[in-house]
Amino acid sequence: MMLAYIIRRLLQSVVVIIGVTLLSFLTLHLAGDPTYLYVSERASEEEIIQARQRLGFDRPLPVQYFSYLGGVLTGNFGNSLRARQPAMELVLERLPATLELTIFAMAISTLVAIPIGIVAAINRGTPLDGGIMLFAMFGQSIPSFWLGIMLILAVGLGLRALPISGHVPFLEPLFSGNFQLAASNAPETLRYLIMPSITVGVFSLSRNARLVRSAMLEVLSQEYVTTARSKGLGERVVIVRHALRNALIPIVTMIGLEFGFLLSGVVVAETVFSWPGVGRLVFNAITQRDIPVVQASVILFSFLFVGLNLIIDIIYVQLDPRIRLR
Amino acid sequence: MFARVRWILLVTLLVLLTATLGVSAQTTPDENTLVIGQSVDVGSLEPSLVGSRAESNIFGHLYGTLYDIQSDGTLAPFLANSYTISEDGTEWTFTLNEGLTCHDGEALTAEDVVYTFQRAANPENAFTGNTVGFVFPSVGFVDARAESDLEVTIITDRAQSEPLRLGLLSEVYLHCKDYYESLTLEEAAENPVGSGPYRFVEWVRDDYVLIEKVDPEAPGFSRIVWRVIPEASTRVAELIAGNVDIVANVPPDQVAAVDASGVATVQAVQGTRRMYVGFQFSEAFADSPGWEAIQNTDVRVALQYAIDVPTICSTLLGTECTRASSMVNPPNDNPNLVPYPYDPALAEQLLDEAGYPRGENGVRFEMVLMGPRGRYLNDANVVQAIGQYLTDIGVQTTVEILDWSSDYLPRVREKNVGPMFFLGTGGSTWSALYDMADLSAPDAGTNYTNWQNAEWFELWDATAGATPEAERELINQMLEVFYNDPPWLLLYFQPDFYGVSNRIEWQARRDEQVIVTEAALRP
Repeated sequence: MMLAYIIRRLLQSVVVIIGVTLLSFLTLHLAGDPTYLYVSERASEEEIIQARQRLGFDRPLPVQYFSYLGGVLTGNFGNSLRARQPAMELVLERLPATLELTIFAMAISTLVAIPIGIVAAINRGTPLDGGIMLFAMFGQSIPSFWLGIMLILAVGLGLRALPISGHVPFLEPLFSGNFQLAASNAPETLRYLIMPSITVGVFSLSRNARLVRSAMLEVLSQEYVTTARSKGLGERVVIVRHALRNALIPIVTMIGLEFGFLLSGVVVAETVFSWPGVGRLVFNAITQRDIPVVQASVILFSFLFVGLNLIIDIIYVQLDPRIRLR
Repeated sequence: MFARVRWILLVTLLVLLTATLGVSAQTTPDENTLVIGQSVDVGSLEPSLVGSRAESNIFGHLYGTLYDIQSDGTLAPFLANSYTISEDGTEWTFTLNEGLTCHDGEALTAEDVVYTFQRAANPENAFTGNTVGFVFPSVGFVDARAESDLEVTIITDRAQSEPLRLGLLSEVYLHCKDYYESLTLEEAAENPVGSGPYRFVEWVRDDYVLIEKVDPEAPGFSRIVWRVIPEASTRVAELIAGNVDIVANVPPDQVAAVDASGVATVQAVQGTRRMYVGFQFSEAFADSPGWEAIQNTDVRVALQYAIDVPTICSTLLGTECTRASSMVNPPNDNPNLVPYPYDPALAEQLLDEAGYPRGENGVRFEMVLMGPRGRYLNDANVVQAIGQYLTDIGVQTTVEILDWSSDYLPRVREKNVGPMFFLGTGGSTWSALYDMADLSAPDAGTNYTNWQNAEWFELWDATAGATPEAERELINQMLEVFYNDPPWLLLYFQPDFYGVSNRIEWQARRDEQVIVTEAALRP
């Protein structure tokens, strides 16, 4: 049952990913002839034509797209038009930095959101609840770009407590088997991660806190919670064992979507904090219309997003035995 | 349960606190290390792919060239010490210095120079950088030939102004044959071995490039770190925090903060990039409002008087500037030409005389002015200001601001922008003709206005092979033609702002190049 479900979802994912590549391909080409980005501003018309032919931009769009898709199916994502390196290699090179940022931001947004959401729910209508909700509203309202700059000015430049920008790798040496370097880098990585992660995660933190609060309030009004209380169970047991577990289902759904949201949100933080991740790579590739890099990134992100949501669906079953895979 | 949560929170806080006490990253300045913050990374470490200023800043330290363009615009011997020119002006023979080597120890001879040029020109390599995309077509490169170990001849298809050709050839980064022949293109793009005063050490993409001095006795810092810091506010913060020594493109609104920091100061220099509003002559725009009016030379001259350029500079660019009198950077411009003054009354009078009086609604004619956002210093606001100045004299101007890379740049390259459009093109300190090459032919790729003044192009053709004196006279004549039949609404040379740490001595250049071979700690 489970295996069939996974296979079906994977097949659906292929359709989704092909659709995403088609859309990104068309969007990039609709923005104008990318040839001009690869010739000198003083290039003659003849040189521009030659460059267009050399880069393959003179072929009809469907031909360019299917040529690209054929390459993808054989594992060839093409070379970056600017760096002359395999596009997927460039993306994978930067992926660890983005994962560090995304995972840490996700951890902050989840681990902080759940307790403060619970506290707000069980103190409903009190000043504490109001303060938490005010913070949540503030967190959802402020632009991450502005928050990043403010953190730099206040914490980095004013207090000199954290580095203003830059990156010390942790996952990259870890993935390449250099555990000693990863371990020695870990404290520095953490220092460099704090401000960018807050910048990326504060919106999600606020949203999740509000979600936890409303989910908890709904669950706390259920009859089985009243029953648990009337049985004489302690309040902590009622909240943690009976209420929280049921309230977690919508939160887990949100976390799955959150990953994609955070991945798209890292572009701003990676730019403000000079973080050498995929977000900046994609942003630069889009502005320079380095099409192979954009498409390699899109495919990788699609895989990550689809894969994570599949995992979330499986976790559902563990959380709530009433849910069955179909 | 809650007690456990409290412990977890406490431990987390302790870890965070401990982390804040750690040491800083390796890319910080010290007495031997100079750190430079720039907005973009290099795309590749292949010398024949260099195409941006950020790349040439780094490659200018890694690779030697035949001659060197100095900060004052003079051309000085570098890896070559002299040159001769054939009678017909098409072959230039350079004599290399003795004992040159590349950073791997391989001797650099004439054969290596030939290889450098031929490798760049080889269509199989499909290079798209400055060398093959701009230098070679500009000099009419045909081939290169080694005459001896120290003599190399560059063969071209035309005679050309001496400083123009010498300057252009000084943009080709020289390297050794054996090493580069042993590499694939992909390998070469990541493992540069140069011939300049610094050697490559490490490149962490989108993070930093580290280079170190080849000769320990030579002036300059032992190590230079080029950090990639895309956001201008972050660059400024790093400068004030003392983590970076030099940053380019300080936003004008942050100049005061830098100067007040006591840690760094801002150097404002008049750059070489010519900022102008182009008048579109292409008949493809014949149906656009205002196009017919600007075909009239008197109208284009009248509009020159409508723009208060010094005020634009002082209020929007944060510095004083002199209005350009031509497309050529001083001091290579025509000294007899006076910049058009701001005189809106005269502008209105000239428009009346040209047959475009104000109508009952106060409008003479309508106009569309296009401009980019995010490419030049405060570009969108400058374009808005120009639009308002034009509207003030009765030219009802609609301003269209477009995204640079996705929309504006393709339109400019396709000459599909106008009827009036804001643009800046790079210039030089070392050759008037370099600046004028935007209009080297009626169909030149950079003749974005499609200007077709026959007199200009006849004079341009006459510069080939002219003596230096005759060339200067021709240049002055051409600039008069340009002044009196202007295809551009002349504005200013874009100022550049560099934040420089007070711990170092370094002078910013006008040509946007960040060359730090002579930077030193303040005594």
